[in-house]
Amino acid sequence: MALPPESRLPLALPGFEHVRRGWHNAFDAYAARLLPGEYYVTPHNEGVYTTLGSCISACIRDRVTGIGGMNHFMLPASASGDKDGWKSTSLSSATRYGNFAMEHLINVILKNGGQRQNLEVKLFGGGRIMKNMTDIGMRNISFARDYLQTEGLRVTSEDVGDIFPRMVVFFPATGKVRVKRLRSLHNNTIAAQETQYLGSIEDKPVSGDVELF
Amino acid sequence: MTDKISELLQGIEGLVTLPDVFIRINKLVEDPDSTAAGIAQAVSQDPSFTVRLLRVANSPFYGFSSTIDTVSRAVTVIGTKQIRNLALSTSVARTFAGLPNDLVSMENFWRHSLYCALIARILARQIRRCDAEAVFTAGLLHDIGELVIFNRLPEQAKESLLLVLDSGDELPVYQAEQQVMGFDHAQLGGELARQWNLPPMLQECIAFHHDIQKAQQYPLEAAVVHIANILALMAEVGTLDTDDVSPIDPHAWEVTGLDADEVIVASVQEAREEIAEAEKLFLGN
Repeated sequence: MALPPESRLPLALPGFEHVRRGWHNAFDAYAARLLPGEYYVTPHNEGVYTTLGSCISACIRDRVTGIGGMNHFMLPASASGDKDGWKSTSLSSATRYGNFAMEHLINVILKNGGQRQNLEVKLFGGGRIMKNMTDIGMRNISFARDYLQTEGLRVTSEDVGDIFPRMVVFFPATGKVRVKRLRSLHNNTIAAQETQYLGSIEDKPVSGDVELF
Repeated sequence: MTDKISELLQGIEGLVTLPDVFIRINKLVEDPDSTAAGIAQAVSQDPSFTVRLLRVANSPFYGFSSTIDTVSRAVTVIGTKQIRNLALSTSVARTFAGLPNDLVSMENFWRHSLYCALIARILARQIRRCDAEAVFTAGLLHDIGELVIFNRLPEQAKESLLLVLDSGDELPVYQAEQQVMGFDHAQLGGELARQWNLPPMLQECIAFHHDIQKAQQYPLEAAVVHIANILALMAEVGTLDTDDVSPIDPHAWEVTGLDADEVIVASVQEAREEIAEAEKLFLGN
């Protein structure tokens, strides 16, 4: 569905007013800037963009109505410190944040007129940007793929893994995505942002008040 | 602006110093009365540089047909000016090891610089009257100001990089630095090169690699390093699409007479083939 590009900042859906948005010459459009842990859904012809290290972003849209959005998340490390912990005992606590990020995005799209059978998904990120770290990017990729398969949602394209950070901009109205690999100069800055986010979710109690759908 | 730069550079005195062997050779090359034998002697006084020099001279990087097994032969075959460049190029990573930082790993920093050096050399070989070996050194040194900023002004450096990320990687790093600090890494590096009495060609390439129209004496070399810097970004992230990196100043193509369609893909690919060997020669121990 071809919507005309917005000539002024479109109204944000309720709950997304805090997301930073502005005009971008490079995208020739208004766009929302996502930080780790945030997500954004829009029924308008505006972009959503983020920069990803080992975090992952799902871009989901209803291909008929054009409503859609993006999230940006990662799974926390196992609380037990056991290297396989996330697969066994801590599975639920580690993945609940992933489930949370995916379900919020999908539910808001559905609540605003999206139809489950029309949803298409694109997946980005999960890079191994720090040399001497365990491959947490791969964990995030595996989680997202498993989640989408379980939910019966089709991934129409993806650019995941490898050693590069990425800048991703997604236009839900058209489905257009641009992925740009970022130079290694940005690795540490992006990793620091993600570590800070990880710290903020790990500080939350495991049996907390996360609402599951 | 210049006050801030001088202050920063005063702060790094003692942390980074040029190797003695470079300073000696530099003086000799500038001295009209010096001889090749005198330069060979200066080289020999530094056993570790002697080893590095012979290693480079006998590597595929030069591709000489015969073995170069003495310093005097290396000086004759390679040339005195180029020996001076090599004294700088083979020691630059060590020279700046005194400026560690939390924003970029030295390995990643020097890989970008080495890509720029390799591509500058590849481009210069296709241009008449452009010293390929000299612009190699310029490429290797072009971002040295960045290491000073990252070490001395870590908070402002971080703020600059966050601005770049917030822009969706549209705002170039040097412009973000200007917004945050009032100057950029190119200006700072150029001033450092001037204080160090590096050859004027190196000074201009470092100072003007983002602003080539300001280059007075060496516009050609500055333009080569400018193009090489952008193509180095392509080599680094493994793309052959110029839309994935910052734009190249169209003026650089005019000055060099190079044809973008002919050189971009070929030089990026060639540099990617050369990088592993070059890392061993220039960034190894």
